[in-house]
Amino acid sequence: MTASRGELIAIEGVSKRYLTTSGPVDALRDVSLAVGESEFFTLIGPSGCGKSTLLGMLGGLVMPDAGRLLVDGAPVAGPDPRHVATVFQDPGLFPWRTALENVELGLELQGVAAARRRRVAEELLAPLGLAGFAAKYPRELSGGMKQRVAIGRALAIDAKILLMDEPFGALDEQTRLLMGEWLLDIWRRTRKTIIFITHSLHEALLLSTRVAVMTARPGRIKAVLELPMEHPRSMESPEMVALRAKLWSEIREESLRAMQ
Amino acid sequence: MKVALLRFGLLAAVLAVWELAGRAANPLLAVPPSAVLPALRDLLLLRSYPDLPASLWLTVREITAAYALAVAAGLATGLALGMYRLAGRTWGPMLAALYAVPAVVWYPSLMLFFGLDVASKIAFGFLLGFFPITLAVLAGVRQVNPHLVTVARAYGAGTLAVIRRVMLPSMLFTLVGGLRTGLALCVIGVIVGEILGAKAGMGALINHAYGLLRTADYVALVLVTLALVVGSDVLASLLERRARAWTE
Amino acid sequence: MDRVTGRVRAHQLVTVLLTVAAWEIAARRGWVDPLFVPAPSATAGALVRIAGPALAALADTLGKTALAYVLSVSLGVVAGLAVGSVRLLRDVLSPYVIALYGIPKILVLPWIVLLLGYGTSPAVLYGAIHGFFPIMVLVMGAVRDVDRTLVTVAQSFGATPLQIYWKVLLPAIVPSVLAGMRLGIVFCLLGVLVVEMFAGVRGMGHVLGSFANGFQAPELFAATALVSAASIAIVLALDSLNERLSRWRA
Repeated sequence: MTASRGELIAIEGVSKRYLTTSGPVDALRDVSLAVGESEFFTLIGPSGCGKSTLLGMLGGLVMPDAGRLLVDGAPVAGPDPRHVATVFQDPGLFPWRTALENVELGLELQGVAAARRRRVAEELLAPLGLAGFAAKYPRELSGGMKQRVAIGRALAIDAKILLMDEPFGALDEQTRLLMGEWLLDIWRRTRKTIIFITHSLHEALLLSTRVAVMTARPGRIKAVLELPMEHPRSMESPEMVALRAKLWSEIREESLRAMQ
Repeated sequence: MKVALLRFGLLAAVLAVWELAGRAANPLLAVPPSAVLPALRDLLLLRSYPDLPASLWLTVREITAAYALAVAAGLATGLALGMYRLAGRTWGPMLAALYAVPAVVWYPSLMLFFGLDVASKIAFGFLLGFFPITLAVLAGVRQVNPHLVTVARAYGAGTLAVIRRVMLPSMLFTLVGGLRTGLALCVIGVIVGEILGAKAGMGALINHAYGLLRTADYVALVLVTLALVVGSDVLASLLERRARAWTE
Repeated sequence: MDRVTGRVRAHQLVTVLLTVAAWEIAARRGWVDPLFVPAPSATAGALVRIAGPALAALADTLGKTALAYVLSVSLGVVAGLAVGSVRLLRDVLSPYVIALYGIPKILVLPWIVLLLGYGTSPAVLYGAIHGFFPIMVLVMGAVRDVDRTLVTVAQSFGATPLQIYWKVLLPAIVPSVLAGMRLGIVFCLLGVLVVEMFAGVRGMGHVLGSFANGFQAPELFAATALVSAASIAIVLALDSLNERLSRWRA
């Protein structure tokens, strides 16, 4: 399970238990993973398998009950915007801020001077496809645009690692596909390390360099598939077809188990 | 559990502070709970104010009259404004503008008109309760599904039937909320009216005690009046719950 | 102004004019006792006569209201923020706050006047108490209803608790604060007027009361109209401010 490349992220024997009204629930049990620099690493698995919890731990918003997480050699003790930026499924834009002001949020919280953060945010607008929308409020933006602003906000702080929790989950299929292409483009240009959560096999196969399949609750890493193919990828190529079958067989079992 | 304990503790602490401060203070200005209790007993045994029941009953009658008028006028006005769009758009904002005026501004005019008698208190209570009821009815009517009205009319329902069978049931929730607020405001209006100048009623008794610096009696009277206020709100909330259960 | 709004405005104007005309005719013909309901012309005349002292009294009242307002807004927002954002405080205090909100404040007015006498302070204090509760309750509710995702987002970007208050909570509750402020001004003014009427303290409330006692109907109506106009103007001004600051809302 350990990558041969340099480990930017190391997750070692991590477990998490939640106390609910119906008793304790093990969300994660003994999860270990390593992710190297500039990987596009996808986590896929049935609902409730703990993917979001794992991502939350990497983002410093959730603490493990056992095990540890290391980012760039240092244990994660809380949100660390210098190394890690998170994009959630709900874009979470501040409705009283314009698109531009939303992109600036991370920089603002770090105390970056107004002129400088304005410049950084403005320069991001064109690659985000939001040129001309700087002064619009979130209520004037479509779902896809809102998510792009959220991604822009994460990119603005220039952290090495981008955590993305089903960022395209709430979008329609066409928009999802376009956003996926667009994200790949951003990734190629910025060379960031992306940890991506999705439900969609298609997305996982189209975008990632490696895919980890998680078991049903309590979540563990069941399998890690390598996808060394070049981008842009064709879903019809023989390797893709084989990988798709393999991925589905791993996931199918877990999805069935999760349904019980 | 912890929350309940803390709440209780807070109440106990407040009472304790009140007791200590009250004992140290000039008895004409502040009385501790320990002095209020005997005053309350005297009050309820009708020793300090023998006409307490009559005053209480008068206040209750004033509230009832004010509320009945407010509900009748509020329903009629709200329904009319809601059902006739132009009327609603014309006079609705004017009504809302009047709502921006603190109601007590009208009270001296009411006193001029009705004197210090019961009528001015009823009028003031009515005025206070009328606005929220009307505005709630108006809002309720506006959110009635117009298609239901169309269907009813297609089956031959006249205006009254439409109101009874379509509008009132559809807007019951909003209506009951407005009726409850209206009652609370009628109560406040009557009490304010009585305190600002009345010959009889709970407010008059309160003024009497205050005027004679019978502070313990004043507090006891306030507590009894509070019981009336809370009682009316409890009654209203029970009715509200009944209405809600009916719509679900 | 579109066609419908134009029609509506015309109707409103006609309503006002017709009412005034009918009222004038009724008063002149003696259909209503001019002792109780003076004619608009008499009211207008009275307005001119009392303008000086009435405006002075109004200024007095509005001055006290302004003080009471500043107190109730600042205390109300701070209390609402504090109690709303700390879960334990909210759970413990909520029933008490709501209970106090529902109590007719007038019941404690005699005691306040007893303590503070007949000056500016009882009016300011009572006005502040009146305005405080609706503001606090509204702010409390707004803090409780802040979208949790926004707080999580801010935290993920490393926001300190102070930054969360400043950059997430405060901007998010602005609409409710504005709604509370709009409600509060009417409540504060009401409180001040009540004290002036009750305790015979200088100000518009006292002016209205003494006109009523003296059976000076035209003067009373004129003064009532004056105070009403002032109140409506203030609320309209707050409404337009509210609208300007809420451009980002749907």
